[in-house]
Amino acid sequence: MNKILFFAHLRDEAGEESISLDAEGKTVEELKQMVAEQYQMKRLDSVMTAINEEFAPGDEVIKAGDVIAFIPPVSGG
Amino acid sequence: MNDRYSRQTLFPPIGKPGQEKISSKHVVMIGAGALGSGNAEVLVRAGVGRLTIIDRDYVEGSNLQRQQLYTEEDVAEKLPKAAAAEKRLKAINSEVEIRGIIGDATPEVLAELAEGTDLIIDSTDNFETRMAINDIAQKYKIPWIYGACVASFGMSFTIIPGETPCLNCLLKTIPIQGLTCDTGGIIGPAVQMVIAHQTAEALKVLVEDWEAVRTSFVSFDLWRNQYSSMKMSRAKDPHCLSCGDHPEYPYLNADYRAKTTILCGRDTVQIRPPHQRGVNLQEMAGRIKALGYDVKGNPYLISAEMGPNRFVLFQDGRALIHGTKDTAQAKSLYNRLLG
Repeated sequence: MNKILFFAHLRDEAGEESISLDAEGKTVEELKQMVAEQYQMKRLDSVMTAINEEFAPGDEVIKAGDVIAFIPPVSGG
Repeated sequence: MNDRYSRQTLFPPIGKPGQEKISSKHVVMIGAGALGSGNAEVLVRAGVGRLTIIDRDYVEGSNLQRQQLYTEEDVAEKLPKAAAAEKRLKAINSEVEIRGIIGDATPEVLAELAEGTDLIIDSTDNFETRMAINDIAQKYKIPWIYGACVASFGMSFTIIPGETPCLNCLLKTIPIQGLTCDTGGIIGPAVQMVIAHQTAEALKVLVEDWEAVRTSFVSFDLWRNQYSSMKMSRAKDPHCLSCGDHPEYPYLNADYRAKTTILCGRDTVQIRPPHQRGVNLQEMAGRIKALGYDVKGNPYLISAEMGPNRFVLFQDGRALIHGTKDTAQAKSLYNRLLG
């Protein structure tokens, strides 16, 4: 299983602070699509992904037990 | 004021040699809103040699809650932020050479400023300008510090050309429809927390304490008590068009910029984003309504009366701003709503 954490407004969109699901073997891109569909969120394309607190590119494959965080870049200043 | 910087030079990583370095450096601040005000004040008080601050907006009442350089008088006079900031910063520290530039931070303007700039601090409110800053910083080898906030959330990352990944490595493209302070709201502490991160990094860069520079991407939510520090060692993309082996600096190219056109005789500016953004009109209508404006719409567009302007937004992200011929003002309104 994998824990997925939502940051900032993603938390409101998902309706949860974190979720658990099995993402083993999926790439980051595939996981983003899956989560966006299941939780009826907007596209997560431009959202940054950390796996175990380390930046992960879109083609990174997720392993069992990895903790994944979705961090949306924000633009206000 | 001989002891002006005494408490800062007592801090061992700065010391007297560090202070001399700080006072010999030129910092360019892009934006004079919430982050720009705070970042500029910290660095001017710290005794930076030269500060250039650029902004295209004027001071409005809704700025005062968090934009620390401005007063009610500035609002009454509708002073450009760059002018009001320059005046206030000079009053804070007359030893610093301060220049306010009223206008758009276009790649051309950034390129002109690049010569003799030691550090760029991002205090802007949109990713189009940030990507241009990113390319200029790579091209001219200038460190820059990304910072942004919305609601109770903020983030920062320090980019050192040749060392760290760059913003284009992380985002690949300009993010679509981000929340902005004008749509998602913003609280003062989130601003101050980003400023604290950006200015601490700025001091490290200015005194050239490279080992102390934070290599992680920090983000936090002060309301929900989240703090994350993301390691970036694997984020650098060797094929990145901004910082990779064969850089092309794409965001200095006009094709990547929002195109503004003044529509003749109509007192209207059209803004066309560089990529089709696929805007969710219903959601945007909701956000604009929440700001207290009257919004009308159909499946193809929404239209909002906003003071002297009428803002019309199409599904592909194109907008018409009626009631102005000023492209900078129109772009400012657009970025405030769409990021």
